This record gives sequence, C-alpha cells and structure tokens, in this order.
Amino acid sequence: MPRFTLPALLAAALIAAPLLSTHSFVHHLLIMVLFSTLLGLSWNLLGGFAGQVSFGHSAFLGLGAYSTLLLYLKLGLSPWFGLLAGGAVAMAVAVPIGLICFRLRGPYFSLATLAVAEIIRLVALNWDDLTAGPQGLIITHLPATSILGQTVNWESKLPFYYLIAVLALLGMGLTHLVARSRLGAYLLAVREDLESAEAVGIDTVRTRVLALALSALLVGLAGGFYGLYFRYIDPDAVFSVALSVEMVFIAVVGGIATTAGPIVGAIVLVGISETFRTQFQSGHLIFYGLFMMLVIRYLPDGIWGRVRLALKQARER
Amino acid sequence: MQMFLQSLVSGVLTGTLYAMIAVGLTIVFGVMRIINMAHGEMVMLGMFGAYWSYSLLHLDPFLSLLLWMPAMFLFGMVVYRFLLRKIIPGGELNSLLYTAGLSLLIANLALFLWTGDYRNINLPYGMLPARPFGISVSIPLAIAFGLALAITSLLSLFLSRTDTGRAIRATAQNPEAAALMGIEVGRIDMITFGLGTALAGASGVLLAPSLYLYPTVGEILIVKCFVIVVLGGLGSIPGAIAGGVLLGIVESLGSVYVSVAYKDGIGFVLFLLVLLFRPKGLFGVGRA
Amino acid sequence: MKQMLRCLLAASLTLIGTAALAEDTWKIGAPQPMTGADAPFGDKFKKAYSMAVDEINANGGVNGRKLEIVIEDHQAKNPLAATVAEKLITEDKVLILTGGRASGQAIEIASVAQRLKTPYLVDHPSADAITAKGWDWVFRQNPPGSIYPEAFHKFITEIPGAMPKSVAVVYDNTLFGKTIAGATMAFLKSKHVPIVADEAYPVNTLDFKPIMTKVKAANPDYLLMMAVATTDAILMTRHAKEIGVAPRAFVGFGGGFGVSDFATQLGPLAENVFSSASWSGNPNAPLTATFYKNYQARYGLHPHEHEVEGYSVIYVIADALKRAKLTGNVEADREAVRQALLATDMETAFGKTKFGNWTGPNGDHYTNQNIYSPEHSVLAQWHKGQLLNVYPKANAETAYAFPE
Repeated sequence: MPRFTLPALLAAALIAAPLLSTHSFVHHLLIMVLFSTLLGLSWNLLGGFAGQVSFGHSAFLGLGAYSTLLLYLKLGLSPWFGLLAGGAVAMAVAVPIGLICFRLRGPYFSLATLAVAEIIRLVALNWDDLTAGPQGLIITHLPATSILGQTVNWESKLPFYYLIAVLALLGMGLTHLVARSRLGAYLLAVREDLESAEAVGIDTVRTRVLALALSALLVGLAGGFYGLYFRYIDPDAVFSVALSVEMVFIAVVGGIATTAGPIVGAIVLVGISETFRTQFQSGHLIFYGLFMMLVIRYLPDGIWGRVRLALKQARER
Repeated sequence: MQMFLQSLVSGVLTGTLYAMIAVGLTIVFGVMRIINMAHGEMVMLGMFGAYWSYSLLHLDPFLSLLLWMPAMFLFGMVVYRFLLRKIIPGGELNSLLYTAGLSLLIANLALFLWTGDYRNINLPYGMLPARPFGISVSIPLAIAFGLALAITSLLSLFLSRTDTGRAIRATAQNPEAAALMGIEVGRIDMITFGLGTALAGASGVLLAPSLYLYPTVGEILIVKCFVIVVLGGLGSIPGAIAGGVLLGIVESLGSVYVSVAYKDGIGFVLFLLVLLFRPKGLFGVGRA
Repeated sequence: MKQMLRCLLAASLTLIGTAALAEDTWKIGAPQPMTGADAPFGDKFKKAYSMAVDEINANGGVNGRKLEIVIEDHQAKNPLAATVAEKLITEDKVLILTGGRASGQAIEIASVAQRLKTPYLVDHPSADAITAKGWDWVFRQNPPGSIYPEAFHKFITEIPGAMPKSVAVVYDNTLFGKTIAGATMAFLKSKHVPIVADEAYPVNTLDFKPIMTKVKAANPDYLLMMAVATTDAILMTRHAKEIGVAPRAFVGFGGGFGVSDFATQLGPLAENVFSSASWSGNPNAPLTATFYKNYQARYGLHPHEHEVEGYSVIYVIADALKRAKLTGNVEADREAVRQALLATDMETAFGKTKFGNWTGPNGDHYTNQNIYSPEHSVLAQWHKGQLLNVYPKANAETAYAFPE
C-alpha cells in the first residue's frame, strides 16, 4: 500500500462521517468518540510506549480546560488561542511533575501520579479567587469566529466535530511520528527494561519527561476542547480519578503502543457505554465492569492488538 | 493541650482501622505483585455483611466477625481461583485494570441489589461516647480498635509461626526460589488472596457501626489505602500498620492545625515527600 | 455466575418491555442519576414524577393527550448530563425538560436547553448560577442556595435576644456548602457578629472530631453547620455533641438536618437542633398534606423535599401545557410552553409558584426564578424526635426553644 493511502483514507472518512447523518445526536456521539480517541492516544504515548502507567492524566485535562476558560472569561483571549495555551500550560506543568515522579518506578509511579492529580484538584477546589472553586466556570456565549473568510458559528455541532477531528488527527500523527522515531525506540527500551536502557546510555529520565510532555500537550488540548464544547467545568468533573482511569481503559481495550488502538478503544467504549445505558435503565455499569474484565482476560493485547496479530499471521501464511 | 490530645486519639483510632485495610492490600501485593483495585469493595461487602446480620438476625456486628471473616476468606479464594488466576501472569498493568473492572462490577451489583441508600448500624451502647480524662472516645470505635489490634497481631503470629505463613513470606520474598523449594505457589497465592480479602472484610465489619455504608464507599477507602501502603512500602506489613496510623494522625492533626479543606491533600503531600526521599517507603522491602 | 447473568438479563428485558412507549403523548424529559452513588435520589424523583403523571392521566391527561415522562440516566456525570439532555431534545423530541438532581449536571442541561431552545424547569438543583446566567429558557421552582438561610436571618433579626454573640461556621467545600456559608457569613458580618471559627471540610468526612475540638475551643454562641450530604449532617452533629461543643443553638443548613433519619440515628442528641431549609414543608397547607397522605399510601414511604419538588413540578408543567396552544410542531410548541410558563401563577404541594426576574441576597440577577422563593424558607426545630416549624410565625407549628 502506498505511504499516503491510509492517512488519506482516514482523513476522507473523518470528513465524510458527519455528513452521513443529520441527527445532531449522532454528531455528538462522533464527537465523543474522537474526544475519547484523543484521550486514549495521549495516554498511550506515555503508558503504552514507555510503559509508565499514569493514573493522574485528568490533571492535564483539567489544566488545559481551566487555562482555556480562564483566559477567555478573565482576559477575553479568544478561546481558540486559549485552547492552544491550555495545551502549552499542561505541557509546562508536566515537566516538573515528570522530573519528580519519574524518580519512582512501576506501581509507585502510578500512585504518585494519582496523588499529584488529587493535589491539583484540591487546589482548584479551594483557590476560589482564581478558579471560582466548586462553582466552576461557565461559558454562556461563544462568539462566532471567522476562519479563512468563512464565519463559523459555534452554536451547531459540525464546527466542534471538525475541530476535534483535527486534534485527533494531530494526536495520531504525533503517535505515528514517535513510533517511528528514535524517541519511540528509546521509550520501548525503557518499557522493556529500565536498567538495560540506562546501561546502553539512554537518558531515561529525559526520554520519559519528553513523552510525558507530549502526552500532556495532547490531553491539555483535549481539556480545552472539553471546556469549550461542554461550556461548563468544575474541579470534580475535570480532575476526577474516574476520568484518568477511563483514559487507561480506552488505550488498553484498543491495544497499547499502537496508533490505531485508541481509535478502536474509543469506538468500542463509547458505543458500549451508550448501548448499555439505553438498554438497561439501571445497573448498566455492571455490564461495563464485566466487559472490561472479559477484554483483559481474553484479549490482553487489546482488540486492535489482536486484529493486528491476526493480520500478520494471515500475511505470513 | 486537650485539643492536641483529642485529635491525636481520634487519629490513632481511625488510623488503626485504615492500617488493617491496608495490611490486606499489602500482603496481596507482596505475594502476587498485584494492586487489587477491588480491595475497597471487599471492605464494603464486609460492612454490608455486618449490616444485614445485624438488621435481619440481630447479631451484634462485632460478634458477626466470627461469621464474616471466614466467609470473606472463602469468597477471596473463590475470586482468586475463578477470576484472577489466569490474569496474574499477564503483568501488573493488566491485573490492575482487571481488578478495576471487578471493582466496578461488585460496586454496581451491590447498587443494583441493595440500592445506593445510606445505611448505618445504631448500637444501643454506641449512642454516647466514653470520656476518659475528658477526651471523647466513641465506644464502637474503641472496640473496633481493640479487635483490629488483635486480628493484626494474630496475622503476624500466623505468618511467623506456621508453615503456611512462612511459605507466604518466602513466596513474597522470591517466588522462583519458593517454587524451587517445593512451595506450591498457586496454592499460596490463593490463600494469600483469601487472607487479604478476609482482612478487608473484617475491617468492613469493624467499621460498620462507626461509618455510613453504601455500595460505593470503597472508592474513598481505596485511595487512602494506596497512600498508606506506599508510605509504608508496598508489601511490608509493619509498613502498612505504621503508614495507616501515621495517615490517621496526620489527617487529624492537619485538619485542626492546618486546614480541613486540604486534609486529604496533606496526606498526598506527605506521600509524595516520603516517596521522594525514601522511594521504597518507610519500611521498604527492596523489590520496588 | 451464568445463572446470575441470566437473572440480570431477564430483569433488564422486563425493563425494556415496560419502557415500550405509547404514541401521541406530551413528553417530558428528565435526566436523573439512575445508577452510581446518587441513584437513590434519581429513584425518589422517578417515583414522584410517576405518581403525578398517573394522577393527571387518570383525570384525562392534558388537552386530550396523556403525559409521558422520559427518564435518562446521567450517572451524576456532567458530560453525560449534556449528552442525555441533547438526546432527549433531539431524538425523543420532548417538549420540556426537568430534573437534573445536582447543580453541576443541571448547569450542563440548562446550557444545552438554552442552545436548543427547549424549556427546562428545574425542580431541585440549587446553584444560584442556574438562573443567574440570563438563560431565558430555564425556569426554577425551588429556591437558589443563597435563599436557604433566609428564615434564619429573619429569626435572629426579629426575635429579641436571638442575635448570636459569636458564631462558628462549619461547611462542606462544595458549591452548596460554600454558597450558604457565604450568604450567611456576609449577613452576620453586616450585623457585626464575630465569626470565631470558619471551617470548610471535604464531603464524606469520616471523622468530625478534630474540627469540633477546634470549634469547642472557640466557644461560639451559635454553631452553624452546612452539609449537602445527609451522612455529613448527621455525623457532624453527633461528633459536635460527643466532643461537648455547647453553644446556645445548633443550626443546620441542608436537607440532611431535616430528614427523619436525623432523629432516629441521633436520638436525644437531635433535641433542639434547628434546621434552616429552603423548604421543609408547610403541613398546614392542604395540597401538601394530601400529597403526603397519597404518597404514603402508594409507596409506603414518607416523602421529603425531593418527592414534593418532583411531584409539584409535573403539575406546573401540566398547567403550562393546558394553557399553551399546542400544534404538534415540536419547535413551535416548545416556545408556546415557554410563554405559558412565563404566565404561571399557581399553588402546588410545594407552595406558590410564579416565575420572575429579581435580585438575590448575594447580588445575583435571577431570570425566571420562582418569586416566592424567599417565603419558602423556614426555620424548624427538633422536638422529641419531630421536626416542627418554628419560624416564620405563619408556618409555625410550635414555639422555638433554646436549650438550658
């Protein structure tokens, strides 16, 4: 297959997808799938490639969301620049966090990220002057923007869809680049064996901090998107442990350390959660938990991981 | 001075119960290298056990320990045998997420069966506190404290004096060597998971008269447990006990002298500090 | 395991079966938490809505059609609340939304309702912001949070000698706790009452003794306690009394201080505790008394504020639907319902309801907020296991008492 066929097909599919339905609820679900994809991709950069399991990624989502909304509401900065600023803030905060937490390994690292995220949540909850505390931040009006001479009205779903599609493509592109670069090779070496990686001269702390920073950038952008799309954020919603765990689930169900895995994971999880919710009025989370267990028990490499393996075997035969 | 003593006593009492939950988590980690995310749900099941035997059979919750501790031991072994055994070789991340799924499953089954109503056990002798030296001590909490001490001591005796106990410790130190020495690691894993679950269940029973119980109560407890076991050093029993009591005291003094709003934050900051300066915890056992 | 699954499957299939919908009804959408930790509240509202809908339908429905309530589960998660609100509006084509349960979810629903031009009548969420953002499609029957202490403020101002000499304020650091604490502390400062302790605690605190030790050392004349969670309300009161905090008055703000569990679990410790609520029922009102009796007969449970709110809100909606000129075109009908709501002026089991624009005690400019909200605030006190209204006089069932 020529090099550009797959990305071109993907882009075409992303552009065409929302045109297949006029139901705005379908558009909403597509947005949620791409949003989850972006979350899964970003977690995957660190957790998948480098094997550094973070349970505190919602910290970066919250930082991105709060930066975007605060810049817009307090300083009047256009939310579209704010979105980028949100990514930058998340990335900037990730560096010191990484320098501290990467002194720890395995489960210690995971629990440290959880602690950091909880501390940030508590600060957001109690620093009323900056964050409005538990009241949260509300956007009541998003001004129309003009992009390439076209007026874009943010009251409808399509502009949000294309925005998140671009961000998700960015995430995929970045993952693809990392996977092929020297950084990717270093990260895999770190995942396989930290001591050996150090022994061959890899600066493992720098490598991991870099992966964390890229990962935080993507989650920060996702956070900015969350704030603008849902128009309301509060500390418990954006800094929640449940959200961090969801990111892990997306990547693991899809298949870690792959580019396509998080897409598959996002489609499956958004689909499943929506189906279960509509099919079973109460108790649908029982099935969600059961589903997680079944996937990990029978598809430990994730759904995409398994499919890829099958494809490879078929090709070899 | 009285303020200080009162918060110290409160801290030690709650801290001991935290410690007991954490000991269950830490022995499972020590032997199997898995962090059981469903550990909080095991505590919740113990609480509901005590609640139902109290409200349906009028069994005193502290007496019902004799029923629920063995029951939870069996439950833990069954969970290990039929749900967990095949997962553990898949690595730390997979078993972590698997138990997270299990935790969702158990908590939501409980919600489905028992609804999310807040329940509590009102013991006639728990209505008013005892007041030794002018310090208020809740009677059910004091009894729970005593029993928690007793159970934890019995566990230490079991681990140091019996063959099975020694086998568990050997497996925790080095599973390969233990296997070479003829220890059936699979059986030890199963017993250990049963023990961990029994401890969680027992702490649930002990906590039931002092806390509100509802199906998602495990969430609050599990995060505290993580802090404790890491403070003490994953896998270390004395570490978990020290970590639990330490967290109880720090939370209690912190909410008086620093700020209640940041109470949980104090625990986390302490946790990070310990990690940075003693990355293997206060009582680190080496294999991090 | 297999059998359990089969049981679950069977149970869920019956759920789907009963959810099969009749055509040609007026649809009311209600996002509520039906699973997760908040599920008991979703269930309360579901019971209350069903009762009101059944009563109205038994009397011939509205304009020849029956009412139908469509409940969607949002699991107490904000993004999911936006998702299901969107689904109810665009897929189920409901005429109007209600419910929400907690403020965070209600803000998401209100924001969606405003954009998609669908009326949203709030029945319980209390954040001031919900009706203070100028959203003209959003209405609220219940009072905003800052109104909760209104009756307490009147009580201490109007009764000679009741003004506290000093207060300790203990509140949870949620929106609910902070709003009420802020409103009442601002009021007390304007009256030059010294605030000797100001403590915010996280929800679901397991041990209030350290805080209460600190409060005891401050020796306040009044102890004011705010709690969004019933468990916190009860545990906080218990620990305050156990530690031996002995102010002239304990005053609780929040539903937890007014539920029957408060008395059954605290026994003698509940005696003389005040409960200042936005609404704790005026049993002297005939509509409320009838509702209490019928609800008890139907479900065998004693209703509280949630049930009254959910039940009444359906009657407000039915009243608006009756007056609106409905054509069957959903967009036009939603606007007609909004117009009809603007003209609402009626009495329900909850009390008087009329929507208007006014300014709250914290300076919030409300739109479409029930103008009778300040009157709904009552101060009640526990006497021998019963919660009796003591102020204002019109709603009073007994005289207030200060402990010895």
